[in-house]
Amino acid sequence: MTQILLKNFEVEGLTTLKVYEKLGGYKSLKKAFSMKPEEVLNEVKNSGLRGRGGAGFPTGLKWSFLAKDSFPRYFACNADESEPGTCKDRILLEKNPHLLIEGLIVSSYACLIETGYIYFRGEFQDVADLMDEAIAEAYKKGYLGKNILGSGFNFDLYTHLGAGAYICGEESALLNSLTGMRGEPRSKPPFPAVQGLYDKPTVINNVETVCVVPWIVNEGSEAYKKLGTEKSTGTKLVSVSGHVNKPANVEIEMGTPVSKIIEMCGGMRNGNKLKAFIPGGSSVPMLGIEHIDVAYDYESLKEAGSMLGSGALIVMDETTNIVEATMRLAYFYMHESCGKCTPCREGTRWLYQMLGEVLNRRGSPETIKTLQDACDNMAMKTFCPLADAAVAPVVSSIDLFPEDYKSFFAEAAATAG
Amino acid sequence: MFAFTKESEEKIETILAKYPEERKMSALLPFLTLTQRQEGWVSPEAMVEIGKRLDVSPAYVQSVCSFYTMYFQYPAGKYIIRFCHNISCYLNGSDSLLDYLSKKLNVEVGGTTDDKKFSLIKEECLAECSAAPVMRVNDDYHVNLTKESIDKIIDSLK
Amino acid sequence: MEKETVTLTIDGKTATVPKGTNVVDAAKSVGIEIPIFCYHEKMLRLGCCRMCLVEVEKMPKLMTACTIDATEGMVVKNDTPKVVKGRQGVLEFTLLNHPLDCPVCDKGGECPLQDNTFNYGAGDTRMEFKRFNNVKKKELSPVITLDRERCIACQRCTTYSEVIEGDQALVMHNRGFHNDIGTFNDQPYDTRFSGNVVDICPVGALTNSIFRFQARTWDLDNAKTLCAHCGCNCNIEFGARENELMRVVSRQNDAVDDGWICDKGRFGYEFVSSKNRILEPGIRKDGEMNVASLDEACDETVSKLKTIIEEHGPKSVGFIGSPFASNEELYLYQKLMRLGVGTNNIDHKSYDDTPGLPVAHYDFTDIESSDLTVLIASDPTEELPILDLRIKKAVTRLNRNLIVLNDQKTLMDKYASLSLRYNVGSDGVALAGLAGAIADSLKQGEAPKVEKLEKTTGIKPNSFKDFAEKMIAAKKVCVIYNPAALTGNSVAIVKNLLSVLNQKPEGECGAIPAAPATNALGAMDMGILPDFYPGGVSLSDDSKIKEVWGESAPTEKGFTTCEMFEKAASGDLKALVVFRSNPIVDFPGGDKIEEALKKVEFLVAHDMLHTETTALAHVVIPSVGPGFDEGTTTNIGGRVQYRRKGLKAESFPDWRVLAKLLSGFEIEAKYLDSFTVTAELAKKVSGYEEIRRGSIQKEGKTRPAQASVNGKTPEVTSPDSIDGFKLRVSEKLFAKDKILESESALAHHFSEPKAILNSVDAKKLGIKSGDRVKVSSGNRGLSVEAEVEDSCNPGAVVVSNAGDEYRVLALIQDHNATVQVSKE
Repeated sequence: MTQILLKNFEVEGLTTLKVYEKLGGYKSLKKAFSMKPEEVLNEVKNSGLRGRGGAGFPTGLKWSFLAKDSFPRYFACNADESEPGTCKDRILLEKNPHLLIEGLIVSSYACLIETGYIYFRGEFQDVADLMDEAIAEAYKKGYLGKNILGSGFNFDLYTHLGAGAYICGEESALLNSLTGMRGEPRSKPPFPAVQGLYDKPTVINNVETVCVVPWIVNEGSEAYKKLGTEKSTGTKLVSVSGHVNKPANVEIEMGTPVSKIIEMCGGMRNGNKLKAFIPGGSSVPMLGIEHIDVAYDYESLKEAGSMLGSGALIVMDETTNIVEATMRLAYFYMHESCGKCTPCREGTRWLYQMLGEVLNRRGSPETIKTLQDACDNMAMKTFCPLADAAVAPVVSSIDLFPEDYKSFFAEAAATAG
Repeated sequence: MFAFTKESEEKIETILAKYPEERKMSALLPFLTLTQRQEGWVSPEAMVEIGKRLDVSPAYVQSVCSFYTMYFQYPAGKYIIRFCHNISCYLNGSDSLLDYLSKKLNVEVGGTTDDKKFSLIKEECLAECSAAPVMRVNDDYHVNLTKESIDKIIDSLK
Repeated sequence: MEKETVTLTIDGKTATVPKGTNVVDAAKSVGIEIPIFCYHEKMLRLGCCRMCLVEVEKMPKLMTACTIDATEGMVVKNDTPKVVKGRQGVLEFTLLNHPLDCPVCDKGGECPLQDNTFNYGAGDTRMEFKRFNNVKKKELSPVITLDRERCIACQRCTTYSEVIEGDQALVMHNRGFHNDIGTFNDQPYDTRFSGNVVDICPVGALTNSIFRFQARTWDLDNAKTLCAHCGCNCNIEFGARENELMRVVSRQNDAVDDGWICDKGRFGYEFVSSKNRILEPGIRKDGEMNVASLDEACDETVSKLKTIIEEHGPKSVGFIGSPFASNEELYLYQKLMRLGVGTNNIDHKSYDDTPGLPVAHYDFTDIESSDLTVLIASDPTEELPILDLRIKKAVTRLNRNLIVLNDQKTLMDKYASLSLRYNVGSDGVALAGLAGAIADSLKQGEAPKVEKLEKTTGIKPNSFKDFAEKMIAAKKVCVIYNPAALTGNSVAIVKNLLSVLNQKPEGECGAIPAAPATNALGAMDMGILPDFYPGGVSLSDDSKIKEVWGESAPTEKGFTTCEMFEKAASGDLKALVVFRSNPIVDFPGGDKIEEALKKVEFLVAHDMLHTETTALAHVVIPSVGPGFDEGTTTNIGGRVQYRRKGLKAESFPDWRVLAKLLSGFEIEAKYLDSFTVTAELAKKVSGYEEIRRGSIQKEGKTRPAQASVNGKTPEVTSPDSIDGFKLRVSEKLFAKDKILESESALAHHFSEPKAILNSVDAKKLGIKSGDRVKVSSGNRGLSVEAEVEDSCNPGAVVVSNAGDEYRVLALIQDHNATVQVSKE
């Protein structure tokens, strides 16, 4: 299978410039610089590459939305990986920092950007330190700084760390945090491509997305399009966690069935039966065993009632207490809600309280009705998608496993009796 | 009284060089992080100092500081243990391990040991889900935790 | 310039609004209410409460009407089932943890949460859990209490603190459900404008500590009136119950206050019930003050004055008026003095000033539209707080430029693109130099020798040029100057500078004379001047005077206050009527004034409160003052507004006292109320023709600017070199004076005066911050704490006028204001 992202991961010393270069690293720069920036942009556009952070927005299209003739522009690389279940960016940062640097240089060239920041979540101090070393090496070698490889293109790259806030993965909150503010999302429009960092046009791309760009430049968009499905091109890193024998980050071609991915991870733990899986990180609806063979791509997962999201496959076997697992996720969103808008601030806590009622055998059909209605009142009514994300596991678990919820009522009646 | 050490002052220069001068407020989080690395926490005096350097009010500094969970506004332990309890770790038995660690250290989750050595904090996903359960001790990640590995890690911390 | 507009439909109604208007305001323009909590038209669009959800055609999800601009052809629906359910949901979330303590809540009756719940909420709650308990009473300051449980985290107050006040003092702590408004380290939230958060809080979370639990809002008798503390004349509402003043709230008038008031205006009203109030007239007999009836006091005044006029002529009588009194009162007083007594010995101030401007008279809104505002000798933060907010708005939100020209550091420096600091006392030289630099740039006249000016003024040569260039480059320039903080004939030099600026071929300019006192401009307009009749009519305009005021109207120049005190000291001024003024404390050189007043044969004090001056009077007449009085005042922007009474006074209104005195001098005075006086002055005072109850009822009316008398280019005199320091007295908004007494709710703002020394001087004297120093002149000495800060240039010392008891102005004993500073 074609490996774009995890290629050479077993090679010792990959984090160093020397080894990275030896394996063909930074090759894409020369090719890119021989093209016009808009040609590079069009190549990416044509490749069908979609944002790997969660929303799956076409990357080239996003770049083309940059406000015309407005400079300086900024690149903000989103390394705030915090979505429960997701650990694909961390592995890229940890094992192959130069790949990201190379991707950022080429992407910024395409977008006429001369300054880039990598926004790491605060907990990623170790990989940020590693990145600082890699950046220093790249500067030394002339891959960063003024007139890169004599191309006339200048690019400065800096690391920036957050300090513990999931919401900073949302692009406008990330920009606020990078500006030195509380990580509260901004109201959109204006979109970052028009008014982003320091009110200047800004591209925000996820680590994985950027890491794909050198390959596309080197091999061409047509080669990329050959991978995956028609609308979900290329490969995808999937973080598999939960009840599988060998949880791991695997690189798959888009369209690979979920059952196959589980197989790649050693199959179900203890040979247990699958109960449910969350295909795209905690913010997307969970799916049941009937979807075990769903193709892992944007369209198929959407059709199945969920989303590809950040590419985190959370596997739950038959022993899982779905209500408790859902409540754990509800806790996450309550803890991470920034509190700016009312439905999210109050709603996430209320969902958590109501799930607790069910779990503590004090629930009733009325509780479920209220839960569902509260979810409806939260969904699509807030600033940013955090409330929508909070609602997804609750709504989907009630839909998929009403009996699990009921079992707690039944027990409630039994204990009462 | 709070003052940045000479070493910190050097880092401050590097930090400020990252941002346009008129946007030096961007250095707020890095300054807070630097302060915490120096002092172990962010004191009100430090907030006043940071505010002065970045032309923002101390109230603003505190407001930002309190938004992010990694900052302590009180002296915390020498070792900050962030123990993940969310979905992937939960599915892999983090609850009982966290309970085990809490008993081992004889400290409530969210608290600091009497000798100020450990602060034990429940964490919401550290992004190492394929290697759950996970905890982070200061800057170091520890993955695929078991009771035995936890014992080894804790015992190695002086 | 025509503003671009867009047309949209809201619930089928068509609205055409300026581009950039949001949907909430667009709906409002056609009478459709979209409910809001966090949106406030004067602040940022936050979009955090989500109450204003609407359906917009072609948008998949409900949108917040406050955050989206109205666009051409937009179709907004405000009443679909989707919208109704969305809002019900938002309200349910909002109320989940909001206590239902409406029966005891101060906001009750005027609460957006109550109103929105009534209009848009579901009948019931499904919340089955105990509401989150939180702090019920957190004192943010001595005047503001936070009920944390009621807070709905709308961020209005924190946004206000950041955007409007610019202090970032009140902030949001923590996040998510634990969001909490507070200050740095729980320090008090005690800014100059903190009280506005009570008005803008959409629930009962931020409450007025004094009003808390005192009355229900619907039981209040509300009077739409004006603040009487400074020359801004902010619009306020007095809420009284059983003739007791319970609270003051803001009353938006964009032409004046933009909807805000300062804390002095909101909380500094104890004077209406001060134990220091003069309630009954008194006549001194054999050294003892005896209570008298108003008739007796007026009769005594008239007969004594008549006797003195008979014996010593009208020039032996003088009048000191008040820049705090209403136009009507001042008008009647000048009429009494000029037509009754027959003198022009009329004045109200201690500095040189003349009515009129050589350029347009600008107001607050002009500051927003001027691309450059120039502040000369003015410290709005302490003197005219609402002006401070307007300038901040212009600079921080409208990207306007500010130049500050002052002899002391002020908070406005922070907002200035150019700050020039002239040496204390060198204002005339500096201003003339700057005027010269402008003229030079316009190629009209000789270049001033700015190199030479540096030594005198402390301003660098290239700054003169920089200033001139900025002045000329700007399309619209608004010059704000404080005549009370200028020395010598500097006001005339400022006017000359304005005339020069007015010569520039393109652009426009105007000015705001920003004397701090409430009705300083009105006092000028009403002719409380020794050399001008009302309406800026110069004494030289004999025919006009005779035409309006009759043949007997005096045209000989009268004495200024300063001259009156001199004449009193020399025994030439026999009688003095002092109206709402306390020169012993409020004028420079207090001790000399006190000695002079003691020599006056007959001293009448017509005042609201007992003062050092009333204590010397032979006749004391009560003046009811703000809260009780009615009339008009003219703010620094030339806007004449209606000050209504909020309380019933026990004594006579001042116009009636004046009517009695006028009758005593056989002048017809058949006034029915203060508005009959207004009607008369409208006929007599040029510029006030349009002023009548109806025309000023709502927002007031700007009186047309008076042209200034074109005189010669004023002479410029260099300041004397002195042996010692020049004293600069700085004003304090919260000074412990007669108005804000020690029991004031604002007492926490009081501070001792400080002597601020330049570091160069401090070093020479071996003084450090915190040292005790003595500032002295003649027999006066003041022991204060020193602060070493380069507030003024070397050679001067800034002492804050922190309260009457310190008698700071008494340190000024010569025209150079020379003092000695020594370490104690």
